[in-house]
Amino acid sequence: MGNPNKMSRNEKLRHDRLTFYKDDIEQIDKLLAEFLRLSGAKCALLIDKEGHLVTKRGELRTIDIDTISALVAGSFAATKEMARLLGEEEFTAMYHQGERDNIQLGLVGDRTLLTILFDDRTTVGMVRLYANETAKKLADIYRASQERHGDDPGLGEAYGQDAKKSLDKLFD
Amino acid sequence: MVQINFALKEVNCKIVFYGPGMSGKTTNLEIVHQKAPEENKGELTSISTDGDRTLFFDFMPLDLGNVAGMRTKFQLYTVPGQVYYNSTRKLVLQGVDGVIFVADSDPEKMPENIESYQNLIDNLTEYGKDIRELPHVIQYNKRDLPNAMSVEEMDRQMNKFGVPTFEAVAYTGEGVFPTLKTLAGMVLESIDRMDSRSSKRPAAEAPRTAAPAARGAQPTRTAAPAAQKKPAAAPQRAAAAPATQRAAAAPATRTAPAKAAAAAPATAATAKLKTPAARTPATPARPTTAAQAAPATRRPGMPAPRAAQPAPKKGGGMAMVVGLSVLLIAAAAGVVWFFSSNNLL
Ligand SMILES: Nc1nc2c(ncn2[C@@H]2O[C@H](COP(=O)(O)OP(=O)(O)OP(=O)(O)O)[C@@H](O)[C@H]2O)c(=O)[nH]1
Ligand SMILES: [Mg+2]
Repeated sequence: MGNPNKMSRNEKLRHDRLTFYKDDIEQIDKLLAEFLRLSGAKCALLIDKEGHLVTKRGELRTIDIDTISALVAGSFAATKEMARLLGEEEFTAMYHQGERDNIQLGLVGDRTLLTILFDDRTTVGMVRLYANETAKKLADIYRASQERHGDDPGLGEAYGQDAKKSLDKLFD
Repeated sequence: MVQINFALKEVNCKIVFYGPGMSGKTTNLEIVHQKAPEENKGELTSISTDGDRTLFFDFMPLDLGNVAGMRTKFQLYTVPGQVYYNSTRKLVLQGVDGVIFVADSDPEKMPENIESYQNLIDNLTEYGKDIRELPHVIQYNKRDLPNAMSVEEMDRQMNKFGVPTFEAVAYTGEGVFPTLKTLAGMVLESIDRMDSRSSKRPAAEAPRTAAPAARGAQPTRTAAPAAQKKPAAAPQRAAAAPATQRAAAAPATRTAPAKAAAAAPATAATAKLKTPAARTPATPARPTTAAQAAPATRRPGMPAPRAAQPAPKKGGGMAMVVGLSVLLIAAAAGVVWFFSSNNLL
């Protein structure tokens, strides 16, 4: 890691990108399951700020996760920008209230969004309370992961070769 | 930015179609959606105005399949091209891994092409990114126009960094896949290169990203190796005609949107899922699909995005807040609608 200004281009790219390792996700999944149990929420999705799913827990029927992730990230980015324009720097959460069901979104560790779906079996207060706790623990997991994996190589040698073949297959 | 998820065994990259208003970005994505094999594509979602101008973004996931044990996915986005929507355009650009710049071959649109390209450079700069290091290609679209500007001239005026360029007639599908294939290849190559330690490939530190990596995709011109120009010295904003007059000059190719769901309360901003069958490339007409987003999102005083667009480019704080509110409601309605239409709630 280190000072982004002093890194070489490739180092910078590696630094910028988001890598999630299996052991991290296992921890995160446990944490989310515990969160759902305590808060009474239905479902938790962890999404990165670019709108890619990181992991999910809870009741989910067939649903296009890619699309919902993109919409959540877009909607959060827009809200945050709006808050910034209005002079509110510390904006980290938002809440959509439906007739019966609700969505709570919160920023976790600067790079991911915790999206929670819940209904009238619980309250927004409960959800927020446990969401805040969970967010703190998630941030700790990210930090620990960075330290452990900071400089791991990513995808193996075979990736580039194989990618070319897949592109030919899809586009020709 | 690329997300590598070893637990899901996935690699996710973000590709953005950029360019001036009406240049054909949404059309490109629609063609990809129509033509990509069923098992490789997800839904095409558009957050657009009633007039089918992109308000926030169009989005579609494209699955490349298993690459060396990792399911590799491209998340394809288009930005709104209209000058007015810069705040949202910038948001879509956040974390981008590759850009397809869709330019309009209509000679009258050249100033807008140049202005939009400069806007891309500026917005990237605000995210701390240098366009020369971002995989990108340029597509010269609307080659079917009888008065289309010559490719040589467009190259001279626009392609300051010598990136691969492609000719296209997006609404017939011509050139759409070759453009995307080359850019996708460049993005994957940049991931691969990140992973190769600098000791292994010292040359990779050079500005290779900007160099054409057009493998097998027949770019219309193989451009000269990346020129080492400063981005600032690139496309001059010179005679950029103010795009604020464009509403009146909408090309005749776009017919009034058919209000399929006219019964539903008019929503100025709708998030709608478009099915592949919803549009045919041969007809430029744009039938609105039946699926309208959560009604009642119309608010008094909401600007009709297609009408006047007098927003200042910078400093129009209030205008930006209003613009963002509009799209926020659209996006939020999209989220809620999405969940409910999936019987999730
Ligand atoms: N003549 C011609 N028209 C085209 C071509 N491709 C797209 N169009 C038309 O151009 C118009 C604008 O296309 P869009 O794809 O909506 O443009 P856009 O870039 O998404 O516009 P914004 O969302 O406002 O930024 C539509 O009427 C298209 O049918 C082409 O190759 N030739
Ligand atoms: Mg569009």
